[in-house]
Amino acid sequence: MSLESSPGKSKTAAFRTKLSAAMMLVIAAITAFGFYLAQRNVSHNAERELRENFRTEISALDKLLALRQSAVTERCRTLAANPRIHAALEDNAIDLLYPSAKDELRDLMKNQQPSADQVASTLHAKFYRFLDNHGAVLPAPNPPDFGALSSAAEAQLALKKLPETQQIGYVTNSDSSGDTIYEVTAVPIFSTETGEVISALVFGFKPLEILPQTGVTGMKSGIWANDRLHLPSLGRSEAGSLARAIAGVFTDLKQGKKSLRVTVNGEPHLLFYKQLNPASLFPPAYEICIYPLAAPLAQLHRLRWQIGGAGGLLLLGGFVASHFIAVRFSRPVEQLAVDSEKNRTQRRQAEAALASTTERLERSTRYSADASHQLKSPLTVLRAGLEALLSREDFNPETYEELSTLLHHTHRLSGVIEDLLLLSRMDTGHLQIDSSPVDLSRLVEEWLDDLEALPDSLEVKIEKEVPADLYVAGERRYTSLIVQNLLENARKYNRNGGSIRVRARSKDGEIHLEVGNTGPPIPPDAQSHIFERFRRAATGSGVAGHGLGLNLARELALLHGGDLKLVRSENDWTEFELRLRAVESETIRPT
Amino acid sequence: MSLRGCLSLSAAFALLPTAIFAQASIEGRVELPKSHAAPVMAKRYEIVTHGGVLSTEPPVAVVYLEGFFAKPTSLPLKQIGQKNLTFVPSLLPVQVGTKIEFPNFDDTYHSIFSYSPAKRFDLGRYRPEERPIPSEIFDKAGLVTLRCDIHEHMRGLVLVLDTPYFVVSDPEGRYRLRGLPSGHYAVKAWVDSKTTREQPVELKSGQTAHIDFP
Repeated sequence: MSLESSPGKSKTAAFRTKLSAAMMLVIAAITAFGFYLAQRNVSHNAERELRENFRTEISALDKLLALRQSAVTERCRTLAANPRIHAALEDNAIDLLYPSAKDELRDLMKNQQPSADQVASTLHAKFYRFLDNHGAVLPAPNPPDFGALSSAAEAQLALKKLPETQQIGYVTNSDSSGDTIYEVTAVPIFSTETGEVISALVFGFKPLEILPQTGVTGMKSGIWANDRLHLPSLGRSEAGSLARAIAGVFTDLKQGKKSLRVTVNGEPHLLFYKQLNPASLFPPAYEICIYPLAAPLAQLHRLRWQIGGAGGLLLLGGFVASHFIAVRFSRPVEQLAVDSEKNRTQRRQAEAALASTTERLERSTRYSADASHQLKSPLTVLRAGLEALLSREDFNPETYEELSTLLHHTHRLSGVIEDLLLLSRMDTGHLQIDSSPVDLSRLVEEWLDDLEALPDSLEVKIEKEVPADLYVAGERRYTSLIVQNLLENARKYNRNGGSIRVRARSKDGEIHLEVGNTGPPIPPDAQSHIFERFRRAATGSGVAGHGLGLNLARELALLHGGDLKLVRSENDWTEFELRLRAVESETIRPT
Repeated sequence: MSLRGCLSLSAAFALLPTAIFAQASIEGRVELPKSHAAPVMAKRYEIVTHGGVLSTEPPVAVVYLEGFFAKPTSLPLKQIGQKNLTFVPSLLPVQVGTKIEFPNFDDTYHSIFSYSPAKRFDLGRYRPEERPIPSEIFDKAGLVTLRCDIHEHMRGLVLVLDTPYFVVSDPEGRYRLRGLPSGHYAVKAWVDSKTTREQPVELKSGQTAHIDFP
């Protein structure tokens, strides 16, 4: 089996491998999908959280800004109502404009800097300038009183026209100490006489800053204006690189992207922005917040490990499971393979056996037929010669005795040959039964008469219980042969002073013929073989016979649709039973 | 407005001490803008602005003769009072060099000042009983806008002229200048802060020239 099943095993292994591979593929796909989902989820969550934070910061900033703007507006309204400023503007006394405003706005220009949280509540301007009715800056006569400003920065205050509403802008003042950004608010001044805008006052403030709230670490905020980044909490070189990065993607920003990823100090950050001065006459400026992505990235990293670990475990488990499942699945397959292999082998063996048997049978059949024919011809010659010799009268009586014995033996031999021929015809299937009703009763009668007439030393009593007109279906020749065989055997294997009992009866559409005789029984271990060819029970060894009779009788009985059985053989009694198909006597009568 | 010929002899203010030498006169009519039914600023104030242009309400004109005249040795003291939070009169033409007092007739502080190029001054806050009465000498020709630092709506106009011959028209625009010297002159009509019309005139002694400002 081990040799036979090796292809089956390799097939099973292949099946197992395929199953394992499929399962691992599924698990790998699930893990990868998990990775993807987790990554997306984490980055989305982080971004949403940060955006939420940014929104909160911005809204807080907006509130502060609004507060400051309203304060500025109020101040400007008061200022515009001031007759001196009005007079200076209306009466073209520009030289008196700043001196007039100076007293009015003295509190705004106090030197002390308010603390960060007071920036909004206390209006503290860094500088202020008036715009003329064309939007150009009216130069201050004594700049330190009104906030020193570089001429380049002052130029940034100018507007193309006087605004109708408050405008917010951001200007960059470069001086020896570096760049400073100011938030500027241009407030229109309406003429109290005409209601027209006759000027604008531009205040410069320190920009409001987003105060980092607890919970978000590393958040940095600044302002992007005039293509420059003002992010005071960032180092100069970092700010520079970030500014370049922002400048590179600023077109993207303008196209509505809400956030972008930037690298600061080699670490990824998420940048949010919001325009501080939408629809302003001043150039656009953006509040910019950068949030370090370290925390979410660390989280993502951790999650990746977790998912990776889980995926690995799952993979391992899947591998084991797939192995077991494959084994489980493949066992019947394997068994099937083994079984089929076994079956094939058995079939081959059976086929071979059948072939050899057939061949043997054919050979033996052929042999029987050939032998019969080859034997019959010389026997006929022999018998004819012996009969011719017997008919002569010039021999002494011993010679006649001899010749008679020889002739008897030729007759016996002829019977054997006849039987062999018949058997071989049966074996080859060439024997055709020409079935017709045969009067079994008469047949038995005739053969019993013949038996009694035999010149035999045995004294045997014959009991006969055979009703008349028992017809069986069959060919007379062969039926007669069966009966002859049985009766001859009954006499042949009898003892001196024994008996023969022949009974016949009709039962269930069959005729049962029982032939029993006294005499030594057939040994039990030989009983099952008595119907085999050339077998003779050991008991009858001293009796004439060739071991074909019973075999022939049974074969013929079977051929006639009947049977021949040994009923019993014990205690000085051996009994056979012949069954043949009955024919109703009424159907025979007309013939 | 096309009424003409109907010359009334309604007297202009006799302001000129030299009138006794005057031999020529000018009379006529200045076409004035229509009175605004609802002025931008409160009606009770006589100086109003339309698009930054100061004028009186109801509109009046100041007609004056321009030329080279001998400087007077002394000029009369003038007064513009503050009464009911208005300047009274709200429009006062004076000759260069005239001193104007600004008495406070209200029960509140006033702080009269001017940023006009023709005269910048600042009287500061003062009460009605302030003595001496705050005053300024207007020594440069031009229009001076008077304001009050406390009452931002108060407006007054001082038209400082380099001539002794001027007169304020009546609300219909009619005027008459008398006691004028003969000769070639330009006669001008100030209508508002941005509008001054001008006509040449040939004055002959004993004659009255008729000049209309359409």
